[in-house]
Amino acid sequence: MPIFKIKHITNYKYETPVRDSANQVILFPIKDDYQKVVKHDLNISGSPEIEIFIDYYGNEVGTFTQNEPHTQLKIFSKVCVETSPKPLPQDDMFGNEQWNRLDALKYEVPYIDYLRQEVFEGIAQLKETALSIKQDEDTPYQTAIKYSAHVFNNFEYIKGVTAVDTTIDEILKLEAGVCQDFAHVLTAMLRLTGIPSRYVSGYICPNRDGMRGEGATHAWAEAYLPEYGWLGLDPTNNCIANENHVRLAVGRNFADCSPVKGVYKGGFEHIMEVNVSVGYNDEDLNDNETYFKPTEVNYSKPSATVTNVRKQNSYQQYMEAIQQQQQQQQ
Amino acid sequence: MLSRVASSLYWLSRYVERSDGMLRMLKINYASSQDTIQEFTWKPIIRIFSADDENELLNIQHDSRAVIEYLLLNRENPNSILNIITLARENARSVQEHIPKDLWQCLNEYYHTVKDEKLLWYVQKDDPITALDLLIKQVMLYHGTADSAMERGESRSFMKIGKHLERSIQSVDILDVKFSSVSTNPDLLTDIAYWKHLLLSLGGYELYLKTYRQGFDAKNIIELVMLNNDFPRSALYSMNNIERYFNRLKSESNIEHYNSLSFKIGRLKSMITYSSVSSMEEESLHNYLTEMRSELFGIGNMLNEYYFANS
Amino acid sequence: MIENFIQNYLNHPKTYDEMFLDSENYRNHYSNFIKNFSKESLENLNKKEELAKKLFMSQGITFTVYDSGEGIEKIFPFDIIPRIITSSEWLFIEKGIKQRLKALNLFLKDVYSNQFILKDKIVPINVIYSCPHFLREMYNVNVLHDIYIHIAGIDLIRDHDGTFYVLEDNLRTPSGVSYMLENREITKRLFPDLIPQCGVRSVTEYPAILYKNLMALSPRAVSNPTIVLLSPGMYNSAYYEHTTLARLMGVELVEGRDLVVKNQKVYMKTTIGLQQVDVIYRRVDDDYIDPLVFNPNSVLGVAGLMGAYRKGNVAIVNAVGNGVADDKAVYTYVPDMIKYYLNEEPILKNVPTYQLSNPDELKFVFENINTMVIKKTNGSGGYGMLMGHAASEQETEEYKLEILKDPRNFIAQPTISLSSAPCFINGKLAPRRIDLRPFALNGPDGISIVPGGLTRVALKEGSLVVNSSQGGGSKDTWVLTS
Repeated sequence: MPIFKIKHITNYKYETPVRDSANQVILFPIKDDYQKVVKHDLNISGSPEIEIFIDYYGNEVGTFTQNEPHTQLKIFSKVCVETSPKPLPQDDMFGNEQWNRLDALKYEVPYIDYLRQEVFEGIAQLKETALSIKQDEDTPYQTAIKYSAHVFNNFEYIKGVTAVDTTIDEILKLEAGVCQDFAHVLTAMLRLTGIPSRYVSGYICPNRDGMRGEGATHAWAEAYLPEYGWLGLDPTNNCIANENHVRLAVGRNFADCSPVKGVYKGGFEHIMEVNVSVGYNDEDLNDNETYFKPTEVNYSKPSATVTNVRKQNSYQQYMEAIQQQQQQQQ
Repeated sequence: MLSRVASSLYWLSRYVERSDGMLRMLKINYASSQDTIQEFTWKPIIRIFSADDENELLNIQHDSRAVIEYLLLNRENPNSILNIITLARENARSVQEHIPKDLWQCLNEYYHTVKDEKLLWYVQKDDPITALDLLIKQVMLYHGTADSAMERGESRSFMKIGKHLERSIQSVDILDVKFSSVSTNPDLLTDIAYWKHLLLSLGGYELYLKTYRQGFDAKNIIELVMLNNDFPRSALYSMNNIERYFNRLKSESNIEHYNSLSFKIGRLKSMITYSSVSSMEEESLHNYLTEMRSELFGIGNMLNEYYFANS
Repeated sequence: MIENFIQNYLNHPKTYDEMFLDSENYRNHYSNFIKNFSKESLENLNKKEELAKKLFMSQGITFTVYDSGEGIEKIFPFDIIPRIITSSEWLFIEKGIKQRLKALNLFLKDVYSNQFILKDKIVPINVIYSCPHFLREMYNVNVLHDIYIHIAGIDLIRDHDGTFYVLEDNLRTPSGVSYMLENREITKRLFPDLIPQCGVRSVTEYPAILYKNLMALSPRAVSNPTIVLLSPGMYNSAYYEHTTLARLMGVELVEGRDLVVKNQKVYMKTTIGLQQVDVIYRRVDDDYIDPLVFNPNSVLGVAGLMGAYRKGNVAIVNAVGNGVADDKAVYTYVPDMIKYYLNEEPILKNVPTYQLSNPDELKFVFENINTMVIKKTNGSGGYGMLMGHAASEQETEEYKLEILKDPRNFIAQPTISLSSAPCFINGKLAPRRIDLRPFALNGPDGISIVPGGLTRVALKEGSLVVNSSQGGGSKDTWVLTS
């Protein structure tokens, strides 16, 4: 039964003071038979009141505001999680029978949400690809494994070519991306074949060989299998996501699970640093800096409220946006 | 009152006041340009009323019509009458339910007058004074309507503060520009036309003649523009009004903010009241005016922070 | 004399005219009006029309049309001849709308909590789960008094035999009520004494009822709760309406940037500091209302508002997520909802509607496209419609391709002829097509509908589209006491 000590730091730094920020965090590990939270400390600069609620997908979501002017927002989550492996599917039911069972779930909550794929340009083509990979006699389990391998083999893992709002069409064209993009493609393939599929955000807690997705939050997919339930599939590492994957949230896509997001007023540019480190020993949760892996920092520009066109100043952009949106409202 | 509403009223009033000052300056300067044998320069005006592109503008400094057109009607010039009146009207529009209908119609008409194509024709081809007079009349209508129709409350106080803040900044700017020319060209000190022109621009010529009998003298001019409480464009007069209308905003719920801004206003007022022309000149007039301008901006910034919620 | 004005008043064939039974006889309930109206000279009537225009313009009762960046202020055309509704017709409409609203409100409560109606397969689950306005963020959110629809505008039309049909339900941010109020004020000026003589019921109570309902929603038990009207701002085409309603109710008109959320409470920024807000009557769409939860690029909303709402610290009117009930694909099931929740027969009929996501219905509609009106399920304002009988072959073909991309986004209805009413056009009375949008207010004390509404007119001859964006105008709407 592995016990992981995870430190997750999200640090926003603003060029000039910002205020009236409203934020949302989904950083509370899911609690179920395979995942126990031993301890969780969530520290946020300025010590705002955190309001927690359960969202539609069953995730714990925290919200808080920071109204006083500030130049930094640091969210420090320390968790100690004990995981246990979920036995793999027996997969001893006839394939046909399994597919029929999935078909019967089509109009059931929650599966309906995890079967419906938003329309995108290349949807027909991706469906064709997916169906060509699947053999007639394949069970949903076998199909899911094949799809995960397909994504792993056909997409290159490159950081920085995609962003949080990259569409599936763009990923398919690039044939590259990071864990989030891999997970989006896999969920789409599964859904188009009739297997309910969820997007999962969380942490990967690698063995000492190192794996893709460290240093930041990780993402993968889950497929729903009859008589089994949800099976985690990590297309970024081509493996079953099991006791080495700590789940934070599930949803239809990244937008439902975004670990940290916020909106603020003022300022112009900001940078966000994310740092996730995983340790196995008790002292790893102490504040001394002996992390298991050398830290890796992700610089990315979150999409909220910052636009890149610098021809106008931000006030002018803001006023123009106001005017445009006011006109759009019916 | 909503911060945004207060802010809009304040800016609406500042913009109209700015247009008022500009129009008068343009009119007097244009008249002077018709009255001189030497080449007339618009350089001081350009320096007061346009923040950027100064170099480019200096190319047209001898072309009166071009300068007037630029300052009046140029869409690219953020400080043109066209643009600031558009802003004044937008501000008014967003607070329509807080101002009398008459005042809104007044601004609306001002705006339509600026946008009238006839205006450009006067400036380019005919008598530019006609164009300026048409606009000056609109400002006067605005002032009259505001005085008679605006309810006597918080709204009006913010408008008055905006108006007098804008006005004192203008007076300080004009004085500074005019006297800095003197420091590079001492001959101007005895140039009667130069001083007369300055006083006319500020609308203080007649009062000056009545007050000072011994002709034009730099000291007296400074005294009038800074310290004469009967002169409605003097710095002291404006400060008295800022103080008066600010006092009316006193409220227990934001007493800390009120006190710190009240202190700042009081300090600036004392600085002016207890100055004499000789003390101003001692530390150099330019430094004195620079400090005063930064204090005035400071008042604007504090209003912005404490009363307008930075919006 | 009236005869002078109605020469050649051509009745559209197979159309119900509100005033005329046939080319010679008018309906009884117009007789008082006609008696007075026929005393007027043509010259006088022209003057009245002029006066009406002038009154609208000088009071700034305008909407703004944006054309190449420049805003042009226009008046919403007003026809001086009132549309008259009998008291028995009104009783029927009132009863029907109340019933419909009750069911729709129960539906919203259900769909965001137990989903009984989906489990019982009365409304197909995929219709709901594919609806972009079904907001999962609203699931299990407690809404005060379980009222989701506080304000509704139900669009009614009449077929050739005079039967009323519901054309659509507007349950999000229905607009037009200021025109109902202003049209009446203008009529009072145009025809002095006529309104009391004809026994017309008053509509002036509307702002008072709305205000009373808003007060009752305050989550804080204070004697003087803060109520605000949240407007997108002055560039919005309905800004005039927002200022009018704020003024008539004496509530503060705010924009998103005036509000801020602090620890799950909403405040407005005033010159003397933050003031807590209790009730928000918003005229901003769901998608724009909270950039933290919905459209992150929105600058019209308030970041964190949904948190305060979820916590019950602020009331939002109408509730967030109502769009799932007035989606045009969901509309089809409203009669079933009435039977399901109320165990009653629907009083007001629905226009037959074909779901294009159903392949059989799609095929039928494509085969009969010339007799159909096709609409986007999430569209409004008359934009993006195809009028089958009027469209060119090319337009039809292009529209078909658009439908095939995602048929869920479209529905089709047979073209309904709409009733006509006389309008004063070029010195003559001429028939024009009309509809009716009564405004219903739903509060803790029940549903009330002020007797009247907005009658919209398709001013273009022969047109069946009454939307203001498509050249429509409006009329004063009279409901008689007896």
